Amino acid sequence: MVKMLGKRIRLFRSRSIWVRKVVQLFFLVLIALIAVNHTLAESGKGWSWLSNASLHALCPFGGVVTLYTFITSGLLVQKIHSSSLVLMGLGVLLAVLFGPVFCGWVCPLGTVQEWVAGLGRRLLRRRYNHLVPAKLDRVLRYARYLVLAWVVYVTAVSGTLVFSAYDPYFALFNFWSGEVAPTALVILGATLLLSLAIERPWCKYACPYGAFQGLFNRIRVFSIRREPSTCRACSLCTTQCPMNIPVDTLTVVRDHQCISCLECTSEATCPAAATVTFSTGGKR
Amino acid sequence: MSLNSKILAVVVVVVLFGGIAVSTTLGWWATESTKTPAAYTEGDFAGQANPADIRGSYTFGDVSRAFDIPAATLAQAFGVTAEEPDTFALKDLETLYVDSPVEIGTASVRLFVACYRGLPYDLATAAETYVPASAAAVINAEGQPTAEQRAWLETHTAPATAPTPATTEGTAAPVETAAPEPVATPGAATEDSATRIKGRTTFGELLDWGVSQAAIEEIIGGPLPDPAMKVKDYATAQGLNFETLKLALQAAVDNQVRP
Repeated sequence: MVKMLGKRIRLFRSRSIWVRKVVQLFFLVLIALIAVNHTLAESGKGWSWLSNASLHALCPFGGVVTLYTFITSGLLVQKIHSSSLVLMGLGVLLAVLFGPVFCGWVCPLGTVQEWVAGLGRRLLRRRYNHLVPAKLDRVLRYARYLVLAWVVYVTAVSGTLVFSAYDPYFALFNFWSGEVAPTALVILGATLLLSLAIERPWCKYACPYGAFQGLFNRIRVFSIRREPSTCRACSLCTTQCPMNIPVDTLTVVRDHQCISCLECTSEATCPAAATVTFSTGGKR
Repeated sequence: MSLNSKILAVVVVVVLFGGIAVSTTLGWWATESTKTPAAYTEGDFAGQANPADIRGSYTFGDVSRAFDIPAATLAQAFGVTAEEPDTFALKDLETLYVDSPVEIGTASVRLFVACYRGLPYDLATAAETYVPASAAAVINAEGQPTAEQRAWLETHTAPATAPTPATTEGTAAPVETAAPEPVATPGAATEDSATRIKGRTTFGELLDWGVSQAAIEEIIGGPLPDPAMKVKDYATAQGLNFETLKLALQAAVDNQVRP
């Protein structure tokens, strides 16, 4: 709680991973400022104390799509720089250790979707994030792998960043620049609109980088683990999961959609101490 | 071993910023082009600059330094008569050749450099790339193209079109010298340029020019995409040859213009 204009305002839910929200806000503000600085720098202005790198240079997915070209010819795809490969490497390191923390803690598009979700939750209450029929939802969750395969293929064939014409993340931080394709703006608008009914729709169904990061859920060192002996079977962990993973039926979460937000753990939602934890497989 | 959220937050931030710091120290972190193309990694030309890595942000001066081609020669080849050709950015070529029936841009410079110096280049990736007739003339007069590159030039030389005066002050001016003899390009030069399909032509423009949705769908073999989508982007996304698709669509456009 903070006191503003004489009123006490609650910034975070009483039991939520507030430090994650702080980290998300930090990266969103940082990327937004760099994107603005990039535009200013093109007209000879800009802040010298801040990077004016292009958004492509700061996107780890650029490293993934240029990998084929880099391995086969030693070159990078147009508009991609070595920074993207470095960020891809750091993203992989984090994912091997902790799963897709980049999605849950860093990605600004995920953050914006979560903010819109707050509004959606108020509008739809318990129906929020439970509107897509389970069978359809299960199939659609794999669509992002088709997107990943398509993006990697067309980038390798064309040597250009074809995906930027569809990328809502690029549109979010460049809509003022005139560089954004109308298709990307439409996809961004659709993503934000859908976020009123579904939590993180882009991440769940279409994000190719989320698909790539999700693969590491199978081998990650630290995982979400549930201790059945102390579990009260209240299902709060499942209810609270933004990605609709049935945590209460699992002992170790290896689902490819987990974003390591920790909202299901005993530190946040689970009412039983040390029951849902973020841990390795050894003794606690 | 368990981790709580605060420790995870610290680890995430430290790994990302620490990783960037370490990679900067090692010289791996670059967020913009160094203006030095990557080198060939194998073959007889290993260690030499590879024209395939020339970027749109390069100037004629950057290309000149990397490949030892005078900036004045590059300017002559691409019809740029700026007072200081050294500072002319390759990405401005598309604006300069806005009325060209085929796209002249950074890829054209890559091919020009490869042909001028006789450097290896994967011509299979250059099916949709063209160089201006003036560039072909420079290559034929001064360059060292391989036999394969010479054959490629014969079918990938754009018809002579004088560049449009650049709107950016001091970057370029219209060509004043006589353009070299045009080299025939399939379906080029004779049609009305207002209804000529170019790299930036959208499906919406095709509809505006009178081509029916059914005719477009028959040619592309699928449903009409977003009208705002460029035909070239569609071809790339579908793995189709842009030139082949363009010729088929251009025929449909011409049928509407001159039935």
